[in-house]
Amino acid sequence: MGFVGSLSTRALPALALGTFLIVAAHEARAQAKPTAIDIATIGEPGPLDPVTVTSDLVSIITQHVFETLYTFDSQWKAQPLLAAALPEITDGGKLYTITLRQGVHFQDGGTMAAVDVAASLQRWLKASPRGKLAAPSVDQVTAKDASTIEIKLKQPLAPLLALLALNNGAAAIMPKALTETTDPLKTYVGTGPYKIVEQKPDQYLRLVRFEQYSSPPGKPDGYAGERKALIDELRFVPVPNATTRVDGMLAAQYQFADSLPAEMAPRFKNTQDAQPVVVKPFGFPLMIFNQKTGPMTNVVLRQAAQAALAPEEMLLAAFGDPAFFAVEGSIYAKGTPFYDAASVKGYNQHDAKKAAALLKQAGYKGEPIRIMTSPQYDFLYKMSLVAQQNLQEAGFTVDLQVLDWATLLQKRGDDKAWEAFFTYHTFVPEPTLITIMNPSYPGWWNTPEKQAALSEFNTETDPAKRIEGWKKLQALFDTQVPAYKVGEFYNLAAINKKLTNYTPMPWPFFWNVKLGG
Amino acid sequence: MTAYIARRFAGMVVVMLLVAMIVFVIARVIPGDPAGVMLGSAATPDDVAALRHQLGLDRSLPTQFAIYLEQIASLDLGNSIFLNRPVLQAMGERAMLTTLLTLMAVGISVGIGVPVGILSAVKRGSVVDQAATAVSMLAASLPSFWVGLTLIEYLAVHAGWFPVAGYGDPGAGLADHLRHLVLPAIALGLPNSALLIRFTRTSMLDVLHEDYIRTARAKGLGARAVVFKHAFRNAMIPVLTVIGLTIATLIGGAIVTETVFGLPGIGNLIVSAVLRRDYPVIQGALLVVSGLYVLINLSVDLLYAAVDPRIRY
Repeated sequence: MGFVGSLSTRALPALALGTFLIVAAHEARAQAKPTAIDIATIGEPGPLDPVTVTSDLVSIITQHVFETLYTFDSQWKAQPLLAAALPEITDGGKLYTITLRQGVHFQDGGTMAAVDVAASLQRWLKASPRGKLAAPSVDQVTAKDASTIEIKLKQPLAPLLALLALNNGAAAIMPKALTETTDPLKTYVGTGPYKIVEQKPDQYLRLVRFEQYSSPPGKPDGYAGERKALIDELRFVPVPNATTRVDGMLAAQYQFADSLPAEMAPRFKNTQDAQPVVVKPFGFPLMIFNQKTGPMTNVVLRQAAQAALAPEEMLLAAFGDPAFFAVEGSIYAKGTPFYDAASVKGYNQHDAKKAAALLKQAGYKGEPIRIMTSPQYDFLYKMSLVAQQNLQEAGFTVDLQVLDWATLLQKRGDDKAWEAFFTYHTFVPEPTLITIMNPSYPGWWNTPEKQAALSEFNTETDPAKRIEGWKKLQALFDTQVPAYKVGEFYNLAAINKKLTNYTPMPWPFFWNVKLGG
Repeated sequence: MTAYIARRFAGMVVVMLLVAMIVFVIARVIPGDPAGVMLGSAATPDDVAALRHQLGLDRSLPTQFAIYLEQIASLDLGNSIFLNRPVLQAMGERAMLTTLLTLMAVGISVGIGVPVGILSAVKRGSVVDQAATAVSMLAASLPSFWVGLTLIEYLAVHAGWFPVAGYGDPGAGLADHLRHLVLPAIALGLPNSALLIRFTRTSMLDVLHEDYIRTARAKGLGARAVVFKHAFRNAMIPVLTVIGLTIATLIGGAIVTETVFGLPGIGNLIVSAVLRRDYPVIQGALLVVSGLYVLINLSVDLLYAAVDPRIRY
C-alpha cells in the first residue's frame, strides 16, 4: 500500500486544506511584499526644489513628486498634465485661461485648487531661471475661480506653454503655503505618483507610491498620458563613480543606472541581467565665447575659431564610438520640428588657412585666449584638448584652463576671467529655453539683431512662422558665433532586463514601468 | 600623568583653533561657490548672486569667520548648505560607517602586517622573508581605488560574493552593513598592511640583535618565548606609532575608497562637500577629523607607557 493509500479518508481533505492554506499564505506574502528598485545616479542631488534648481538630477527625481500644468509627449508637443485641457488663448495671444483637473490631491492630504496653482506660478516667475525668462512678459496670474486660472500677458509669449511644461526649473504646482519663499524648498509636497519618504544623503532617497494619486487620462506617450506607479518604491542611490554604476548593473544590484561612459557599452554585451539604453536626442556640447569683454568680442575672431575647429575630431576624442554622437551643426536634431541644417554653413570647416586669414583680418596680435574646461565632465575636457590643438594650428594663442566644475561655474560669471568655456546643454523642446538665448547667461549674446529676432520669435504664435523665425535665429547663431555647437551626443544608460515598459527620454522616469513581465 | 594629559588637551585647543582658521581660509580662497553648484548650469550670474545673498555668502570674510567661531564656541558646526541639515547631524549619520570601516581596515592591516612582519624578521633571508618583502612592496604600490575596483570586478560582479557598492537597503541590520564593508576594508587595509610588514620586520630585526635577546637565548629560553615575550613587546613601540598614523591615514584613504564603493561615510562627505563648496561641512568635518587625529596621537603616546614601563610622563 502506498503513502496516499495509507492515509485515512478524513486525513486527505485535511492535508489538501493544509496545503491550500500554506500556498495561499505564501502567495499572499509574495503579493504583499513591496516591490522596490534601485536607481544609480551620478551623485547626491541636494535640495530637491524643482523650481529653483536646474540640475538634471533634481529634475529626474522631482518629476515623480511634483507635476506641472502641462508636459511633453514623445513628439515634444505640450499636453495637459494637471490642466484639464490645453489653454484657451484669447486677446491676441495675451490671455491664457487654464482649466484645472478636479480632485487632484497634494501629498499632504490637501486638494489642489486654483489659488495653489496661481501661487506656485507666481513663485516660479520669481524664483526659477526658466520662470524669470517669462516674467517680463507676464502681467498677472490670478485664480479666476476654484478650478480656473488666468495668465494675463503684456505681450504674446509663444514659448509660454513649453515653459510651463518643462520639468527643469519647472513651474511645479505645490500647496500655496510652500510658495511664500523663493529660497530652495525644505519640504517637498507635490501631486505626483510618488512621494518622498526618506532622504539619507549620499546613501539613498526613497520615494513610495502616492496612493491618492490622480492620473491624467489618455494613453501614455512620452511624459504625457496616464501615469501608474506600478513599483511600490523607487530608491535613487548616489553612485558618483561611473565604473561602479556599471559594475552594479552587471551584478544586478541596481535596476537602472544613468549617465554611463560610452566606452563602457561593450561591457553589457554578454550579460544576462542588464542591457544598455541609448537616449536620442540627448544633448549637445557648446564652446561659448565671451562677447562682453576681451578679444573674442570681435566677431571676426569668433568666426576664425569657427573656421578652425574640427567637430568630428572633437566628438571622436570625447565619445570614441560614433554610435554615441552625430556630427551635426543644427542646434536641433534631425527629426525634430526645429531641425535646420541649411542655416549652419559655418559648421565643420576645419580650415586652418581660412582661420589664419580671418585672424589677420581681425588684427589679432596673439592675445591669450583663456578657455575654461573641466575634467569632471570627461567628454568636455577631451574635446577641449582637440579644440586647443585646432586653434593653435590656426594661430591662436590658447591658455587652456583646467578647472573643477564648481570653479568653472563661478568664474564664468566674471566676464574678465575668460574668453571661452566648454559646457553642454540637454535637449530642450523649445528654442527659447536654450541658455545662450538668455542675454544675461555667461557669453552674453545680446546683439540688437539677435534680440530683435528673438523678440519676433517669442511673440509669433503660428507654428509654421515660428519655424521660419527659428531659422533666422540660427542663421544669426552661425554668423555671429556666440558659441560653437560641437555636435550631438547621446546618453548611455543601462536597465535591468526585469524592468519592462520603460520609455527612454532625456530625463528618465519610472511611472508605468513594471518589475517583471 | 594627569598634568601631562591636561597639558596635551590645552595644546589640542590651540591646534584646533589654528585648524579652524586654516580650513576657513582655504575653503574661501579656492574659487567656486556653493550657490552656483546648487542652482545648476542654467543659472545666470544674477540667480547665483541672489542665492549667495540668501546664504549669507556675500558678507565680509571677517564677519563670516566671527559667526563661525561663535558657532564653534557653542559646539555648533552650522548647517550644511547642500544637505538641508546640521553638519553635526550629517556627520553623526556617517560616523558609524567610517568607524566600522576604519576598525575593519585596521584589523586587516594589523592582522596581516604584524604576524607577517614578525615571521619575516625571524626567518630573515629565507624564501618566506623574500616573498613577504616582494609582496609587501607590491601591495604598498597599489592605489586603494585600483584595489577597490579590482575587488568589485572579481568578488562582486563575477563571483557575486559581496555587494558592489553602497551600505545596504533601508532597514538593513549590522550584519548586512558589515557585509557591505568587507571589500572596502580590504581595499583600504591591504596597502597599509604592507607598510606594517615593513615596519614590524625592521623593528623586530633591531630588537633581535640586542644584547638582552642574546642573553635570553643563552639562558635557554625557547624561540617562541624569546620572540613574543622579549622581542615583540619591545619592537611594538615604533609599530604602535605606525598603527596610530595608519588610522589617521585610513581616514584620509577612506575618501577615495568610500567614493569608489559609494559609501556614505565621512570621507565621502568631505570629498562631496569640497566639490560642492559646502563650506560648513568642509570646515566642520575637517575640524572633527583633525581633532580625532590629535586624539589618536595622544592615545598612542599614552599606550607607550602601558607597553614600556620605562616611559613615564
